[in-house]
Amino acid sequence: MNIAYNFAFFDEGSKREIRRKTLKAIAIPGYQVPFASREMPIGRGWGTGGLQLTLSLIGREDVLKVIDQGSDESVNAVNIKKLVCDTTGVEITDHTSNATIIQSRHRIPEVPLRNNQILVLQVPIPEPLRFYEPSEYETKKLHGEKEYSGAWLMLFEQIMKYGSMTTGADHPVMVHDRYVMAPSPIPRFDNPKMNESEALILLGAGREKKVYAVPPYTKVVSLDFDDYPFQRETFAGKCCRLCGASDVFLDELIDEESKETVYQCNDTSYCLEKLNEDAALEVRV
Amino acid sequence: MKLDSVHDLQTVYRKLVDSTSRPGFISDLVPEADKLDDTVDFSESILLLALTLLDPEVSFKVYSKESHMVSEKISTLTYAKKKDADEADYIFVLKDAEEGSLVEAIQQGKPGTLKDPHVSATIITEVDRLSDDGELLLTGPGIQKSNTVAVGESDSWVEARQFKNTEYPMGIDLLFVDKQHQLLALPRTTRIIKNRVMN
Repeated sequence: MNIAYNFAFFDEGSKREIRRKTLKAIAIPGYQVPFASREMPIGRGWGTGGLQLTLSLIGREDVLKVIDQGSDESVNAVNIKKLVCDTTGVEITDHTSNATIIQSRHRIPEVPLRNNQILVLQVPIPEPLRFYEPSEYETKKLHGEKEYSGAWLMLFEQIMKYGSMTTGADHPVMVHDRYVMAPSPIPRFDNPKMNESEALILLGAGREKKVYAVPPYTKVVSLDFDDYPFQRETFAGKCCRLCGASDVFLDELIDEESKETVYQCNDTSYCLEKLNEDAALEVRV
Repeated sequence: MKLDSVHDLQTVYRKLVDSTSRPGFISDLVPEADKLDDTVDFSESILLLALTLLDPEVSFKVYSKESHMVSEKISTLTYAKKKDADEADYIFVLKDAEEGSLVEAIQQGKPGTLKDPHVSATIITEVDRLSDDGELLLTGPGIQKSNTVAVGESDSWVEARQFKNTEYPMGIDLLFVDKQHQLLALPRTTRIIKNRVMN
């Protein structure tokens, strides 16, 4: 632990500011609360929103897990873990079920979250209406008036052009029947996990200076049309080549040698846990 | 003061997060409040929340018989600005405040605007005893089916709060602490139904 810094890197004033805004965000589900977004030793757009939330929350008793696109070991995840660990000395884990705070980029873990865990998501573009309306002044007004034709129009245009909704990730959701919210670029596969979640979900956008939240047991509905219902990505008939899991989000890979398409769990710690379980069973047998 | 302004206030904040994200869940501030022994002459849990949330960037208002003394103490410790109820970010209603102060605070507190609903007052009230078994039935985000609580206060604030929060997302958020340093949060999304058996 590096004692040259305050516990959890920030000075107490910065933490207090993020904390005040986070509490307002929890009180108004889906509403983007502007916050100061302090300078960080990593670049804006590299997970500073999530990191600031994590640093404002974390205490000595916490166990932290950081994932980046499902992986515990990618550069981004490793560096965020190092920064938090160096300035707090908290325990780090790969096991989703052992963590009290899970910071994630682009995924909600496969292992169902519990009520004593907090999921922190890193958000690049928190404004679901941004592609439709570039002005922040205008989008704030649209949210105030609950005027969300633009969000549906974007989905409608995709259907007109391509025959289906083509949001690969970040499919907009309606939170508590009031705010349309960007769920961060999680795949559509993960959207239903936000609905009536056991765990509190906090979302932070460092570059755009916004924090927002989905409290536990809150209605989160992915936007869709009666004749074009929302659909998750399907992996019917496919399974992970390592652990054999079939009801999870799979990465599509091309085997360099055989040029065959293969599939593998995107959530690496889930895959590893499953492999270890299977291996333990084999040893017992 | 034995209170550690880094670690103890972090645990207070996490309890605030727990209680706010799960309305009806009562958190226990005793471990932190005990560290404030004999340094304050008003509620320790009120002071804990002030230390956790207040600094020069925000303003506050105190309803109490001793409002001058309490305000001075809070502003000395946090450097937060004193303001009138209709402008304050945080409003403290202490147990010894005049009858009807909570209702007045709710009516006066700023509700934010449709564009900026977060620029709204948080009202922190001290009551005799909080309990998770009572006649107020809570539903809304953060609550799986329903929770019940009792705050041991006359109920007129329930209607005042409901009226104030009619135009959601505008509204005020309530925090309650009791003499045993228990903490309850009722954010603006929580619906309260008085669950009384009719005689």
